[in-house]
Order: sequence, then C-alpha cells, then structure tokens
Amino acid sequence: MVIEVLTPEEKLFTGEITSVMVPGISGRFQILENHAPIVSALVKGDVELTLGTGEKQNFSIEKGFIEVLNNEVSLLVYTAAAAE
Amino acid sequence: MGANLKEVRERISSIVNTQKSTKAMKMVSAAKLRRAQEAIVKLRPYSDKLDHILRNILSNIDGDLNLDFSKERDPEKVVIVLITSNKGLAGAFNTNLIKQAVNLLDKKYAAQRQAQQVEVICIGKKGFDYIRRHYPDVTINKDFVTLFDDLSYQNLMKVSSLAMDDFTAGKVDRVEVIYSKFKNAGIQLPEAKQFLPVETVKIYSDSSQKESFKADYLFEPNKEDLLEELIPSILHTKFQKYILDTHASEHGARMTAMDMATENANDLLKDLKITYNKARQESITNEISEIVGGAAALKS
Repeated sequence: MVIEVLTPEEKLFTGEITSVMVPGISGRFQILENHAPIVSALVKGDVELTLGTGEKQNFSIEKGFIEVLNNEVSLLVYTAAAAE
Repeated sequence: MGANLKEVRERISSIVNTQKSTKAMKMVSAAKLRRAQEAIVKLRPYSDKLDHILRNILSNIDGDLNLDFSKERDPEKVVIVLITSNKGLAGAFNTNLIKQAVNLLDKKYAAQRQAQQVEVICIGKKGFDYIRRHYPDVTINKDFVTLFDDLSYQNLMKVSSLAMDDFTAGKVDRVEVIYSKFKNAGIQLPEAKQFLPVETVKIYSDSSQKESFKADYLFEPNKEDLLEELIPSILHTKFQKYILDTHASEHGARMTAMDMATENANDLLKDLKITYNKARQESITNEISEIVGGAAALKS
C-alpha cells in the first residue's frame, strides 16, 4: 500500500509500505495491507513505518489524523520530527 | 544657460540612482515572491486532504451538527485580525487592507466600538501604526505585530489558537480576519473574512457531492468527537493560508510597484535627456552667434 505523510509545511514522505503503526486517540493501532477504510484522530506519540524493503522508519508526532481508503494511507500530522 | 545645464545633469544622475534602487528592490521582491508562493503550494496538499476528510465525515453524518466553533452568538465582543506588511513601498497594498479595517470599525461594528468591545489584533507594523494613530479608542493587541519574522506553522498557530480559545470560552463572539488574497503578482484582493464562528461547515454538509464519499468508513473516535478534533486543525490551516497569501501579496504588490517606478524613471530620463540636449544645443548656438557677432564688429 501507499502512504503519504503530510505536514502543513511539507510532504514528509511518500512511498510503498507494508505496515504503519500510529498512536490513535483510543489506543495504538497498526494498519496492514487491505485494511478497512478508517478515519482516526491521532495523539502525541511515535509513528512507525515498515517500508516495502523491510526497513523501518520512526518519527514522533504532536497531533494528527489518519485516513485509509483502498490501500492508500494519508497521514496528516503536526511537528513530525524524525526520531533518531 | 550653463547653470541650467548643470541642473539638468544633476537631476538626471539622481534619477538614475533612484532607478537603480527601484530595480534592485524589484529583483528582491521577485525572489521573495517565489519563495512565498512555494510555501502556499506546499500547504495545499495538506489542506486539501483535511477538507477531504471533513467532507467525508459530514457526508456520513445525518442530522444537525452542533459544533463549538459554529455557534452563532450576538456579536457583542468582536476581534478583528488585521494582517498588513511590515514595510511600505508596495503601492496601495497596505492602504487597501487598512481600508477594509476602517470599513469594519466605522460601519459594521460601530456599535461595538462605541461600547469598547472591539479589539484589533495587528499583524504587521503598517496596520498597527495606522490603527494606533487613528483609532486611539480601540484596544490593540500588539503581541503579534512581528509575526511575519517567523512563518513556521507553530508560530502562526499562536494567533489562531488564541482566537479559538477566546471564542470557545465565550470571551469573543466573532472573529474577523482582514487579509490580502493572492491571485498573481499583479492582482491582490484585500478581503475581510469571518473566521469564527465557522460558516463553511454548512456549505459542505448540503453540497451535492455527498455520494462520492459514501465509503463505509470506521470513525475513531465517533464522528462528532472527530469533527471537534478536525475543525481546529482546519481553522489553523485556514489561518495559515491567510498569512501566506498576504505574505505573497505583499511581495507581488511591491514587485509591481517597483516595476512601475522603474518604468516611470525611464520616462522621466527620456524627457530630461531631450531637455538636456536642447539646453546644450542652445548654449552652443549662443556661443557661436556671440563669436560671429564679435568678428563682424571687429571687421567693420
């Protein structure tokens, strides 16, 4: 599936991923291939992307939203700083 | 005649100098405009997506909405956010924005002004200077005059957060924003927009596009709470758009103004050069006729 990570200032990341873990407002959850359409608010925490290559990428967010539809994930976040 | 020649020469060189600076300012504005436009373009995907999600939720909601940010109250206490630039030399740019503010203060909210219930949040020095000088009775919030120094999202959010907090707390009943909509380098449209309470929600919910968003979404948390989370984000983004638009407009206006000044200097130079040549020719003719006259006097 494809993910797009957007902040108000720039497009942080786009690309092919196999999974994404996000801090949902009612608990952390993971989105895998063929996930049902969902819209959720996110809280402060870490996002973990698993790229198509198996590599993992982490960053922390302040607040945000996620939308999943037909294997397209949109992640809208504030102050996403790449975690070291 | 010699004095006249010198005068014209001095004027020409002063105009040439002025033209140099207007030309340089035009170049600088063009570069800044490009950067300002980029910022607008970069914000677009984010704001489009937010809008998309909003429409999504609204089209899945049946019945009336009762949102904190769309509660219409009698406008007893009004806040006007006046966005202008810090510097002048941008043609009628600031004047047009200030005119909008004057219109609100003198007409639409004259009663509230009488009752000391209008506050102006000034962003940009030009608007601040004007309001302070001409409306000493109006409360001015000058905390954000220099907001343009840092255009990051976090910094811009401070103003919209303040407005939203005061609105939800009931301290403010209406928030208006005066900004300049950016169309292109030549055209900027000063506008006064109602920021709070929100009007857009209504427009979206009875839009005809409903069907296209009828995917069976899971909403986390429930739709109503999600909306309450989403609206502030949308408002922050909207406010950021106002700021970025005004920023781009400022540079566009300055670029146009400086371009016109350079043109004008060219016209002036052309006229002066003709005057200069005429004066020069005149003095030569004079000298020749004096010499000829002198020689003729010697002969006789």
